[in-house]
Amino acid sequence: MKFISNLTVLALPLLALAGCGKLQNDIDVPLPTYASELVVECYLEPGKVPSLAVTTSVPYLSSVIPQVPTDVTVTLTMPNGTLVPLAFSPNYKALTDTTGEKFHSHIGRDPLVARPGDVFKLDVRDTKGRHATSTTTYLAPIAIDSVEYKFNDKSGSERKAYFLTNFRDPAAPGDYYRLQLHKGDPIPKNLRKGPESDISLEDRLLNGQNFTVGTSYRFNANDTVTATLYHTEYAMFRFRQSVRDARNANGNPFAQPSAIYGNVQGGVGIFGVLSATRVTKVIR
Amino acid sequence: MIFSSSVRYLVLVLLLIGWGAQRAVAQDASRFTLSGTVRGARGEALPGASVAVPQLSTGTAADSLGRFTLSLPGGRHQLVVTSIGYQQITRDLNLTRNQRLSFVLEESGNELGEVVVQGAVTLEEKLKTTQMGVEHLSVREAKLLPALFGEVDILKTLQLKPGVQSGGEGTSGLFVRGGSADQNLVLLDNALVYNPNHLFGLFSVFNSDAVQSVDLYKSGFPAQFGGRLSSVVDVKLREGDRQHYVATGGIGLISSRLTYEGPINKGKGSFIVSGRRTYFDIFTRALNKANEGKEDYSPIPDYYFYDMNAKANYTLGDKDQVFFTGYLGRDVFGFSSTGGFNFNFNWGNTIGTLRWNHVFSPRLFVNTTLAVSDYQYSLTNRLDQFSFGLGSNIRDYTARTDVEYTPTDKHLFKAGALFTQHRFGVGRLDANSGDGRVNFGSDVNYYGAEGALYASDNYKASDKLQLEGGLRLTGFRSGSDQYGGIEPRAAARYALNDRTSFKANYALMYQYVHLVTNSGATLPTDIWYPSRLSVKPQRSQQVSTGASFLLGDGKYLLTNEVYYKWGQNQVDFKDGAQLFVNPELDAEFIFGKSWAYGNEIYLEKKTGRTTGWIGYTLAWSWRNFQPQRGTTGINNGEDFHPGYDRRHNLTVVVLHQLNARINLTASFVYTSGNLTTLPLGRFGVQDIPGSSVGIDPRPVPIYPNRNSYQLIPYHRLDLGVVYKIGARLNQDLTLSIYNAYNRRNAYFVFFETVRDKASGRTTGFAAKQVSLFPVIPSLTYNFRF
Repeated sequence: MKFISNLTVLALPLLALAGCGKLQNDIDVPLPTYASELVVECYLEPGKVPSLAVTTSVPYLSSVIPQVPTDVTVTLTMPNGTLVPLAFSPNYKALTDTTGEKFHSHIGRDPLVARPGDVFKLDVRDTKGRHATSTTTYLAPIAIDSVEYKFNDKSGSERKAYFLTNFRDPAAPGDYYRLQLHKGDPIPKNLRKGPESDISLEDRLLNGQNFTVGTSYRFNANDTVTATLYHTEYAMFRFRQSVRDARNANGNPFAQPSAIYGNVQGGVGIFGVLSATRVTKVIR
Repeated sequence: MIFSSSVRYLVLVLLLIGWGAQRAVAQDASRFTLSGTVRGARGEALPGASVAVPQLSTGTAADSLGRFTLSLPGGRHQLVVTSIGYQQITRDLNLTRNQRLSFVLEESGNELGEVVVQGAVTLEEKLKTTQMGVEHLSVREAKLLPALFGEVDILKTLQLKPGVQSGGEGTSGLFVRGGSADQNLVLLDNALVYNPNHLFGLFSVFNSDAVQSVDLYKSGFPAQFGGRLSSVVDVKLREGDRQHYVATGGIGLISSRLTYEGPINKGKGSFIVSGRRTYFDIFTRALNKANEGKEDYSPIPDYYFYDMNAKANYTLGDKDQVFFTGYLGRDVFGFSSTGGFNFNFNWGNTIGTLRWNHVFSPRLFVNTTLAVSDYQYSLTNRLDQFSFGLGSNIRDYTARTDVEYTPTDKHLFKAGALFTQHRFGVGRLDANSGDGRVNFGSDVNYYGAEGALYASDNYKASDKLQLEGGLRLTGFRSGSDQYGGIEPRAAARYALNDRTSFKANYALMYQYVHLVTNSGATLPTDIWYPSRLSVKPQRSQQVSTGASFLLGDGKYLLTNEVYYKWGQNQVDFKDGAQLFVNPELDAEFIFGKSWAYGNEIYLEKKTGRTTGWIGYTLAWSWRNFQPQRGTTGINNGEDFHPGYDRRHNLTVVVLHQLNARINLTASFVYTSGNLTTLPLGRFGVQDIPGSSVGIDPRPVPIYPNRNSYQLIPYHRLDLGVVYKIGARLNQDLTLSIYNAYNRRNAYFVFFETVRDKASGRTTGFAAKQVSLFPVIPSLTYNFRF
């Protein structure tokens, strides 16, 4: 025992010797030149005026100010072939907004009319010769069958509930979803805020079956929870996945960097029609 | 068809070899055979021990069981038996008939008892052998060398050899001559080890107390090895003390070890049982308990690993010996969140082998082995009545037999057959709820059968010229997909004189199983996939040539080797590939080619109070993956270097015995920096309405070029002192100082978003370099009773 205690006494100063300086340092990284691309982000919603954000990608270590090109013309092609120009009318205020309002550089005039199966096309070009195009299809909304909750057996501030959302996947394979849960009354202001939960799903392993999607114990009594289920194209699913993978690779030595996979040819980005169903429940 | 015609080739080769051997026997009928074993004082076999007759300029080296065979003319001879770390013995012999002798060597020096076992051949043997590109690792060297956290790690010691790169700071992964970590054939007593790492690669699964020797083959692969492209890491466990019951062990900074060994039935056999366990979890649990209830309490996950080795051998008469080897290792990770989630993740290998060695005659041995090897991981989440599990495993059942025949001193003939039944549990998923509403399970399993036949002959054409030719026929079948390959192996050695030899070799290898990973590193969740459908076997060829020089009165061996290696059907994966429980996983693979070349210089000294080596490697490694299968390939189809391509690699290792009690050691490493991929551009994504992720969401990086940025050069000095204590010098204190001058080596670089503290808004971006280990001293107490 005496020997062990001597050993400990000897070991402590050795441990103290272990360098405790910074293991993270600023360095200079000379990056080669980078040719910027058009970045297009457009989510059409039935009943809402079409809008989209056109920006450009920039060298990583350049200024933080978003680059919004002013020489871009945008044309939306409706399912019946009608060409709808979207005017350059940026809401720069949204760039500094904290309420969840999204920035758009171009916007149309009339609310969108869409039926499941409708195909929309997008054409974006600038005066430098850059030309981006994309196509998307409006998918049929998938109904949320039910939502439910269950409290844990704790009391006081530790009493929390988990929340379940149930829906059924159609028989055909190849369906992709995004499920968001928002807290608060289901008014636009609350639904624009950051969600409590936001996950992407696919039916690769559960084709044609019931989905039950849960959370951890995180909701309190009297919370109002709104579940929004988006039925998305594979392109939107993959775009989100590749964005996540690319972000995670920056700072994770185990991650392999990913290219960005969208559905915009001639640029970077995503074009889709949001097909949503929504259910609200108050946790009692 | 390929396979059957290949069998005909093999039969032809066997006949030719047999014919040559018979002729040789006929010519040497007046000679006698001297055979036997070389063991240490505790009964341990001494592989690599030299048995020589200096007057005749002939000799041989003991095999992995300590056996030797020598053909000598009748008459009086003086035999000299040596093994590094043991006292040389000389014996006069009057040879009038075939004779068997057993030699027992006493330890030289005053090394701590448990580290006496040697796997190293003498420098002269290295000079003479046709085998090149092989490193014999002495476990004693590994134990004396300074180690991270004091954990002796034979794989990390191998990284100090030329041509071998590590995956990253402190990790055990081996990248040999441009090959990737999954292209190493890691064997433990003939059984395959699928994941040789603990703790995400920071430690290897091999407990140095239980290991006898390690051989690393980088080229010129003997025909008995196959199935991987880049290297063979052949680990042999100790057999245990045949004379006494002995307990050895150690108490270190992060783990403790205990080994017990002894004789069976008065020395007819022996056993050894060895175990170790880390104790991070004891400290983290105490910390969690102390912090529980605090407002910002966030429990630290439990983590520990353990492994157990067991080996027993028993001699059945003069001609038979049986061996049993068992290994069980697990990493265990557990976490309970305040949100109610319980998370458990464990992984590890289970290995068992049963080997029967039969001596038909002093010139003919047969080893027959049955082995099972299993690697699995299991991940479970639980919340209230809901549970979710994910897992994967691979299990091999292997039967092999290996014949070794020495018809004369001029021929060493080896042949054998191997059959492995693989079961690939590529993915297992289950989700359940207590009320039965959720009840889902999915399994993706495949089977594969792998077979091999091989034959080789090492032929001493003259004192100067030695040739080795071999052929390995391999086949693989998974479902209705089947593949075959002919793997020629060839080597030659020309001895210009007693101190200089030139060598060359060629080898072709096939790899029928593939590691599924997109992490760029070996992780516990990596899974193995058979060659099937579009996934064809990987293939590589390597030529190398070199020269060896004995210098300084035979105390130093200088070796220079040049190699060129090229491979086809190298595998990688699409961006965002679905690797878990995917019944169409083959569609996620992409295929390319690789090539690597370099020069390795190695100067070593194995005897005297000061030993060690200096190695320098100048190397290039390349990959090319063209656009394919709906992707742009890798790097848009242009050539690129893998991350571990390091142009310069210098290692200097010195071990010095100051006196009977003190050994001093130092190792220095300098390598070119790792290559990494940095984003050149970025853009912003707002995402759909209702998905606000706060002010100025993280930028999305754009990575146009793979591995185009090089980190700063890596260099590190480690120092060690072994101080023996106790009257019998049977205990020691081992002090290791890792990264002695506290170099901040780059582990990785990333771009950080700089935000204003008050407003939270992004103000710019900065490049950050992260280092992993500063100077780390550690102290380990070792004992032998």
